[in-house]
Amino acid sequence: MGRLGVLACQAASLAAVVLAWHVAVRTGVADPLFVPAPAAVATALWSTAREALPRLGDTLLKTLAGYALAVGLGVAGGLVLGSRRLVHAVAMPYVVAAYGVPKILVLPWIALTLGLGTSTAVLTGTLFAVFPILLMVAAGVRDVDPTLVTAAVSMGATRGQVSRKVLLPAVLPSVLAGMRVGIVFAMLGVLLAEMFAGTRGMGFLMQRMAMAFKASELFAATLIVSILSIVVVLSLEHLNQRLSRWR
Amino acid sequence: MKILAWRLAILVAILALWEAVAAPLNPLFYIRPSVLPGALLGMWRVPDLPPLGEHVRLTLQEIAGAYVLAVAAGLWLGFLLGLRRTVGRIYEPLLAALYAVPSVVWYPSLMLFFGLGSASKIAFGVALGFFPIVLSVLAGIRQVPATLVTVAQSMGARPFTVFRKVMLPAMASTMVGGLRAGLALSVVGVLVGEILGSRAGIGYVINYAYGLMMTREYAVLAVIAAAAVLAIDTAGALVEVRVKRWAG
Amino acid sequence: MPGGPTTDTAAPIVLEAIGKRYETASGAVQAVESVSLTVRAEEFVTLLGPSGCGKSTVLGMIAGLVRPDAGRVLVAGVPCAGPNPEQVALVFQDGGLFPWRTALDNVTFGLELRGVPAAKRREIGLGLLEPMGLRGFERKYPRELSGGMRQRVAIARALALDTPILLMDEPFGALDEQTRLLMGEWLVGIRRRARKAVVFVTHSLHEAIALSDRIVVMTARPGRIKDVVDVTLPFPRDLNAPEVTDLRAKLWEQVREESLKAMGTRP
Repeated sequence: MGRLGVLACQAASLAAVVLAWHVAVRTGVADPLFVPAPAAVATALWSTAREALPRLGDTLLKTLAGYALAVGLGVAGGLVLGSRRLVHAVAMPYVVAAYGVPKILVLPWIALTLGLGTSTAVLTGTLFAVFPILLMVAAGVRDVDPTLVTAAVSMGATRGQVSRKVLLPAVLPSVLAGMRVGIVFAMLGVLLAEMFAGTRGMGFLMQRMAMAFKASELFAATLIVSILSIVVVLSLEHLNQRLSRWR
Repeated sequence: MKILAWRLAILVAILALWEAVAAPLNPLFYIRPSVLPGALLGMWRVPDLPPLGEHVRLTLQEIAGAYVLAVAAGLWLGFLLGLRRTVGRIYEPLLAALYAVPSVVWYPSLMLFFGLGSASKIAFGVALGFFPIVLSVLAGIRQVPATLVTVAQSMGARPFTVFRKVMLPAMASTMVGGLRAGLALSVVGVLVGEILGSRAGIGYVINYAYGLMMTREYAVLAVIAAAAVLAIDTAGALVEVRVKRWAG
Repeated sequence: MPGGPTTDTAAPIVLEAIGKRYETASGAVQAVESVSLTVRAEEFVTLLGPSGCGKSTVLGMIAGLVRPDAGRVLVAGVPCAGPNPEQVALVFQDGGLFPWRTALDNVTFGLELRGVPAAKRREIGLGLLEPMGLRGFERKYPRELSGGMRQRVAIARALALDTPILLMDEPFGALDEQTRLLMGEWLVGIRRRARKAVVFVTHSLHEAIALSDRIVVMTARPGRIKDVVDVTLPFPRDLNAPEVTDLRAKLWEQVREESLKAMGTRP
């Protein structure tokens, strides 16, 4: 089955789901209070979008801020963690443990000290995103083929030259991979913070809609956020492909 | 040995730093680690806090329920997409797209649909936990060396036997990694669900303590919950190591 | 005493009873023991022996990447204290090409380190790739090249620094049989133009005989020099000539004995 065929099947499946959904609501199998009809969601899409746009922008800004911080910390930390054997052996269990602890447990404390505003969301976003980036970059550094370093050294490369001309390009794919994963986590952290302790932003809006049983609006909002993140991730993926022609 | 000494030193240093930084600050917001053991012992006697035992039990039940369903759904979907080539080609990209969405966006809808009770927490736990399982099944199938399958077939093994005696053992290491990650995520899903909106469970109690600014109790609960999660994950890691050793 | 004439410190490479010992989890391992050798200018010397006999370690010591535990290494009359990019260039078994750089950028890497300007680098690089038959491939990435092509790029990279000494560690080891044979033929052509002292590590008798002025047969671990054979036949060598067949038989006898030891069975 060719690419076109696959796309057609995907579209057909989605259409089938929407159809089944429509029938379910129509025939009363699904309670319209909890499951809005597709048509209702479609109409709500427009009004929700208008209300959601500023909030979406707010969420995005916080995500980008948290993400930038996480990338800075994660890449720097990962480089150090991966390149120094002693640091790696000593610190790794702690990093892994910190990664394994659900970060939501810290969220109440952050909200308590930083309040219900932007800084809580940004910090939470950073917290969620920094660990995967850190771990992936560290792994990337450790995976650098030692022959490449030997070759450079044998040709007279100084430490600085080895770092710049060998380690950096060799590590780049892992850094990019970490960054791709990081954006989803950053957005996750921000949305979570907004749902738990926010007054603005998309997360807060969605939580409020749920409490008010505004099913169509909530579905519409969920759809909008989902499409947005898919677009963001796909663009990052595309960028990654362009930068990795040599792989 | 030297490494162990360093690790211990770091742990002590972190605790000491934490203690020193928190000491001069407002004890309502900044909890010193030295306060925690005392608070732990006093937990059960705090009047405002709901009875912990039941809540812990409920959370554990929710986790178990979520994980069982996540494994069932994950394995079913994974094998469906992995073994049937065409089905996989159509639906795997859709799954990958879903993976790009921050999972927490599903939660308000789940809360609306299932209510504030256990069902929404279990549903969310399933939503989070089944992903790594599906992915690991797909990856596992892909890395079964084709030669092994050919060898078995050439010896007359029928498809189901090939599946059972060749593919499953060859996939075991990859799959167990996914099963372990799935457990971790199911736990996170249940916890997040409880903290964001529930009437029972450990997350609820944490939220409760937070709401009443009972910071010390909240800190103790958070530490306990963290330790419990780490314990569950360590158990998972041990199982993973065992399976990997057997599977080769 | 094996190793040629007495220590001639003007020679490019002089090994004086070098040894190397490694600490492993299962105890100390003597990889190389008491190896003495002198390599003259423009001489092609092959280190021949079974796997694990320390040939690569010897090469590492000449390159300054491995420090000997015993004896000393003199390169151009000076004791070796570390990597020596002015004197020594290396070719590794799996190429060691930088996957993110094009063939040309790989070849000119050493020049880049030295600060040679871009236009000059390009000129030298293309000049090296052309006789390798790689004209037109200079902008390809290693991933896009075949194994044989990658090794040629690796050799070009080593030649770019124009050092008097070239060390090659089983450069054709990862290639299939046909490509190996072709590369061997090609290297014979190149060596006469390159005019360097070459130390070539291999476990292939064929390559050793086809390429070398001298063949140093090494024992199984701990690696010592078992025998040194001068090969004075003119190039290119007809591998079916009777002298070659005799030589091959003689070498095989020795190598076989050591290979069996390396495999753990008695000869």
